[in-house]
Amino acid sequence: MGEKITFKSYKEMPINAMSIADMTWNLTGSWRNIRPYYDFKMSPCRLGCPAMEDIQRYIFLVTEKRYEEAWGAIIENNPMPAVTGRVCFHPCMDKCTRKDFDQAINIPAIERSLGDMGLENRDWMKKVDASKKEKVAVVGSGPAGLSCAFYLARMGYQVAMFESEKALGGILRWGIPEYRLPNDVVDRVISQILGSGPITVRAETTVGRDIGLDELEKEYDAIFLGLGLMKSRSLGIEGEKGKGIEPGLEFLKKVNSGETVSPGKRAVVVGGGNTAMDVARCARRTGSDVTVVYRRTMNEMPAIKDEIEEAEKEGVHFHFLAAPKEVVRSGGKLAKVVFQEMELGEPDESGRRRPVPVEGRTFELEVDTLFTAIGEQADLTGIEKKVECEWNMIKTTGEAGETSSARIFAGGDVVTGAASVVDAVAAGRKAAGKLDRIFTSADEPAVEEPKTVGIEEINTAYFHQTKRTLVPRIPVEEALKGYLEINSGFLPEQLEAEADRCFSCGVCNFCDNCWMYCPDVAIVRLEDSYEVNYDFCKGCLVCVVECPRGCISTREEGK
Amino acid sequence: MRKVIMGNHAVSYGVRACDVKVLSAYPITPQTQVVELLSEMCASGEIDAKFIKVESEHSAMTACVGASAAGVRAFTATSAQGLLLMHEVLHWAVGARLPIVLANINRAVGPPWSIWTDQNDSLSQRDVGWLQIYCESNQETQDTIVQAFKIAETVKLPVMLVLDAFFLSHTFEIVDILEAKDVRKFLPPYVAETKIDVDDPHSFGNLGSPSEYFELRYMIQKAMEEARDVVKDVDIEFKEHFGRGYGVVHPYRCDGADVILVTSGTVASTTRAVIDEMRDEGIKIGSLKIRLFRPFPVEEVYEVLSKAKKVAVIDRNISFGHHGIFFQEIKSALYGRTDVPIFGYITGLGGRDVTPKVIREIADRAVSDEKQERDINWIGVKV
Repeated sequence: MGEKITFKSYKEMPINAMSIADMTWNLTGSWRNIRPYYDFKMSPCRLGCPAMEDIQRYIFLVTEKRYEEAWGAIIENNPMPAVTGRVCFHPCMDKCTRKDFDQAINIPAIERSLGDMGLENRDWMKKVDASKKEKVAVVGSGPAGLSCAFYLARMGYQVAMFESEKALGGILRWGIPEYRLPNDVVDRVISQILGSGPITVRAETTVGRDIGLDELEKEYDAIFLGLGLMKSRSLGIEGEKGKGIEPGLEFLKKVNSGETVSPGKRAVVVGGGNTAMDVARCARRTGSDVTVVYRRTMNEMPAIKDEIEEAEKEGVHFHFLAAPKEVVRSGGKLAKVVFQEMELGEPDESGRRRPVPVEGRTFELEVDTLFTAIGEQADLTGIEKKVECEWNMIKTTGEAGETSSARIFAGGDVVTGAASVVDAVAAGRKAAGKLDRIFTSADEPAVEEPKTVGIEEINTAYFHQTKRTLVPRIPVEEALKGYLEINSGFLPEQLEAEADRCFSCGVCNFCDNCWMYCPDVAIVRLEDSYEVNYDFCKGCLVCVVECPRGCISTREEGK
Repeated sequence: MRKVIMGNHAVSYGVRACDVKVLSAYPITPQTQVVELLSEMCASGEIDAKFIKVESEHSAMTACVGASAAGVRAFTATSAQGLLLMHEVLHWAVGARLPIVLANINRAVGPPWSIWTDQNDSLSQRDVGWLQIYCESNQETQDTIVQAFKIAETVKLPVMLVLDAFFLSHTFEIVDILEAKDVRKFLPPYVAETKIDVDDPHSFGNLGSPSEYFELRYMIQKAMEEARDVVKDVDIEFKEHFGRGYGVVHPYRCDGADVILVTSGTVASTTRAVIDEMRDEGIKIGSLKIRLFRPFPVEEVYEVLSKAKKVAVIDRNISFGHHGIFFQEIKSALYGRTDVPIFGYITGLGGRDVTPKVIREIADRAVSDEKQERDINWIGVKV
């Protein structure tokens, strides 16, 4: 491109509107002053997923009925779609562009279908052999530990998993009731992960008690701590120790182990998180009348909204703005609990309004069993002397879970406090990636702010308004009879229908619109992409407008 | 060779002699025979041109623009609605400085649907920047086509020939037919100053910012002003080659005339017959035919009309809300230079006959009227 010419007189000008300079740099002349170019973005759902699952891609592959590849696309970022497809709080759906059009895509249901297919089709998971000399100890076999082990093994590292319990799975096995996540699924997911590469297991071995971190450090090149939070926090009130008061997690562990539990006629669950919901719903299944008492209101409840709704459907009562104050026993048995009425005060550091007692306002409930579900704690015995801890959690210094000790990483709830399975999966993968870069002395990948699209970039004229495809569920009365999984998963035609709803925001799915609409026949169809033939593109940008999903960006010519 | 041919075919024969490479047109009465004969000439190989069939006049003119931009002679013909459909592209031809020649057979614009003559179609294209030459006879028509290419290529502006529907287009007259070999000596092969060329790629018709647009328009006006002399010079040169010339205006018996009737097109011939009749009666009257309408021959018009005591302008057209268009042009040309009273007469719209009787009525009124009562004097309208 030449420099700008300013004419001093008409005598210097050509007789007509023509360029003086050679125009081979832009064969359409100044016709095209804006250039369209293919610029695939990152779908907002993917940005919303803590594990960065390539959601758009696997849904696209489902529409093509390329299920194995679709499953493979998830596995790149999450080794347990059969789990997350069931229990995730799906922040992806909050980001789904389709929610601004009709209803967000039922992403977890699609994920679960693919996850289940991956468990059915055992040959989809190709086994990886050890190819690297480094060995890593992974402590804890919950989602963080499993994820870290899986991705290290994928890269050929030798992994030894340490687990206190006999069976692996951590919170997946002990903390989530079977009606949400059947043990059978947990078993198959773990078996698939363990079978995927050079992973060995040392169960019933508590690191910090049975074996010290120092010993592990000698034997292994790095350690990942995914201990989780396996102790229920105590209420800190008078009479808490004793009959009739049970930590929620222990109750859940009993239920998941198939032990008979009998909380009695009237059960009260104290807390507002997912554990509280799980405990309440399990207690309902024993026939108890269950009330959840929470010191704030429903708006502040940290539990997944769906879980709260399910609990309500199953007949769980809620009592808000109250906290246990005193336990009254009679004849060695729990008789009643005195509750302090609360009100919401100033917001605390979490942004939620702090509950404060209302002076002189209490009430009593007759209770057979009171479950505590006000949070969980880590057991950091033998750990805290090796890595820096803070508020009974491991303190990390970087995105990948780096700790105060050079080759010790940590991730999952033991770092974040009670979070979610998907966060733990993400943490495990990040640590694995970082360890690989340390072992191979590789550079850190460049961090670029990903470009995304919103509803403004979607050409909604190409889409019909439809309703989200809902997953078949067993009726409440059936559900309350036992621990049968409530959500029975998509039927094949439902999977197809729901995948077809995806806008594929910002990512080409080869719909051919650009190719069909280009008035200059300047779009060239390649094997699995398109390109613009700039010898003919006059920059009308019809392709940009007609792309239903915002895959084509523009930039000014000569700039 | 002399032939008896219709006015439309006189156009075709003129084009035949000019080494035109691209012809494109859409049929419309009363123009159709122009391109009908040309397409036959193309088909028989009599002329070596590409005839591009199109779906509209807009496309016909666009095809001519493309051909001319590629550096060859291009021609089209049309009438009335067809010309109006070309309007956008007429501007383009001017802005791109393309020497296209177009023959417009004056036809009244609908509705009501009409195929008969008046001048409103071509005169409504007055300001687009095309030269306009109004012809009176079949011989003049053929000869003017040849002149038009030479004028257009000299000033780099397109030229529109205008002839009356039926009174000229379908009237048979003897024409001395021009042959290409003779014309070539007068009109050399066309060499474009700028053209679309794959070996020298440039962008044409591109965006022009306010810092260039104004100058490009200034240059068009300069070319129009230059065209006043070029039209005259080409006519003189043509006369040297072929013995026939037409001038930019044609005064008839204006010497010592007290009253001069201003005319155009075929009305000019009829008027001359009336002038002869009145001169025989001893009335001092003459007529002035305006042949070149754009650029307007201001000096030639002044030269003739400033000597008269009265001027009467006959318009076969009307600018609604003002008055006859030739009348406006004459007034504008004489403004501030002479006090001669100018009378405007409108007649013959939509092909109504302008007979010697009609012209005599105009002439008599012009002779007797002392004071101009209003700008428009309607002749023959049933009020």
